[in-house]
Amino acid sequence: MMRSILAFLAFAAFANAQAFSFRIGAPVASQDFQFKSAAFVFRTEGCAGVEKLKITAAAVGRVNGERRSMDLHVAASSSHPGVFAVAQQWPQEGNWVVSLKGECGDKIAGAIVPLNRQGFIRESAKFFSRAAKDSEIDAALKDLAKKEEPK
Amino acid sequence: MEMTDPAAERFAQSMLAELPLVEAPESVWRGIEARLDAGERPRPAPVFRWPRWAFAIAAIFAIVAAIFWRASQRGWIDTGHSSQTIAIGQIGTVTIAPGTRLRVVADRPEEHRLALQHGEIHARITAPPRLFFVDTASGTAIDLGCEYTLTADDRGAGELHVTRGWVAFVWQGRESLTPAGAMVRTRPVSGPGIPYFEDASSELKRAVDGRLDVNAALGAARPRDTLTLWHLLQRVSDTDRAPVYDRIATLAPLPASIDREKVLRLDPEALKLLKEELAWTW
Repeated sequence: MMRSILAFLAFAAFANAQAFSFRIGAPVASQDFQFKSAAFVFRTEGCAGVEKLKITAAAVGRVNGERRSMDLHVAASSSHPGVFAVAQQWPQEGNWVVSLKGECGDKIAGAIVPLNRQGFIRESAKFFSRAAKDSEIDAALKDLAKKEEPK
Repeated sequence: MEMTDPAAERFAQSMLAELPLVEAPESVWRGIEARLDAGERPRPAPVFRWPRWAFAIAAIFAIVAAIFWRASQRGWIDTGHSSQTIAIGQIGTVTIAPGTRLRVVADRPEEHRLALQHGEIHARITAPPRLFFVDTASGTAIDLGCEYTLTADDRGAGELHVTRGWVAFVWQGRESLTPAGAMVRTRPVSGPGIPYFEDASSELKRAVDGRLDVNAALGAARPRDTLTLWHLLQRVSDTDRAPVYDRIATLAPLPASIDREKVLRLDPEALKLLKEELAWTW
C-alpha cells in the first residue's frame, strides 16, 4: 500500500514538473532592441538554469525544387537571459522553415517554425519534446509551399 | 496761393474794400514792443524729439527680433510637391512625404528630435532605443528600435503604423506601445489612442477607435489582440477592468507570477510583467 502511494506521488511530481519546451514570438517579445530586425525570437521554458542550456538551429528550405539547409547563428539576449533571436540568414527565394533543438541536461525540446515574407507563421509552428525529425521538417515545407502558392 | 483769374482778383479786392478797417488795441502793440526790447525771440511751436539712445535701442531690438525670427524659421523643411530623405545623424533616415512640414529640433548624438507640424514621415532607425523622437501636437513618438510611418495634420490628429521593431507614443503621461504590424491613432486633445494589429477585426477596431465599447472589444479579441486589451486595462473604469483582465487571461493563459489584484490596481510593476508576458502572443 505504502509503495503504491509513493509511486503515485512520484508520478504526480513528475507529471507536474514543467516540460522543457520552446516559446516563440515577434521581436517585441524580447524587449531587446538589438533583436528588432530578427525573424523571430524565442525563449525556453522548463529549464532551470540557463547555463545548462544548449541551443542549435538550422534553416531548411526548398529553392526551385532543391532541398537546402544551413546551420544558423542564434543570438542570446544580454539584457534578458534565456531569450534568443534568429535573424534571417537564408535567401529570400524559396520556402524555408527553421528547426530548433534545445538541450537542458537530459531534457530535449524541438520546434519547426515556418516563415514567409511577412515573418514567422505562428499558427503553423510545431513543438516537440524531442528533436524534430526530417520527415516532419519536409512535411512542414510541403504545407508551406501549398500555402504560399499564388492563388 | 496765387490767383490767376483776373475776375476773381477784382472780386476779392472789392470785398476787401467793403470790410471796415479796425485798429489793434494799444495793449497788443505795447506787449510786442516790450518783448522785442527784452530780446525775446518768438518761440516756435514745441516739437517732440526722440532722444538718440531711443533710436539705438529700437535698432537693437529690431536686429534681435530679426535674429529670433530667422532662427525660428531655420530648420523648417517644407517638401512641397516632392519627397525628401534626410539622415538622422548616424542612426538612420527619415523619408518625408510631399506636402509635409517639419523641423529639426535637436541633432545631437544623445538626442535626435524632429517636430512634425503636418504631413507624413517614414523613419528607419538603427540605434539603441530612446535616441530618436518625433513631436506632434498630440504627443511624441519615441523610437525603441524600429521602422514606422507617422502622419499628422495641423491639429495633431494622425496615425502611427509600425513595420519593424516597436514604438512608444507618449502624451501627458499617457503611453501607447505599438509593435510591428500594429497601428495607433493620435488625437490632439487626448493623445495616443489604443493600438491594435492591422489584421484585427473591424469590430475590434471600431470598438476602440471611436467611442469606447468595452464589451464589443472583449468579444472581438483574438489572442494576439491582448495588445489592445492590455492598453484597455489602463483606459477603463475600475468596474470594467476585471472583465478585461479576465478576458486576457482566457486568451493567453498567464503564469502564477502575474498578480491579478495588483494588475487591477494598475500597479506599474505588475502591468509591466503582464505586458512582457503577453508580448509573446503579439
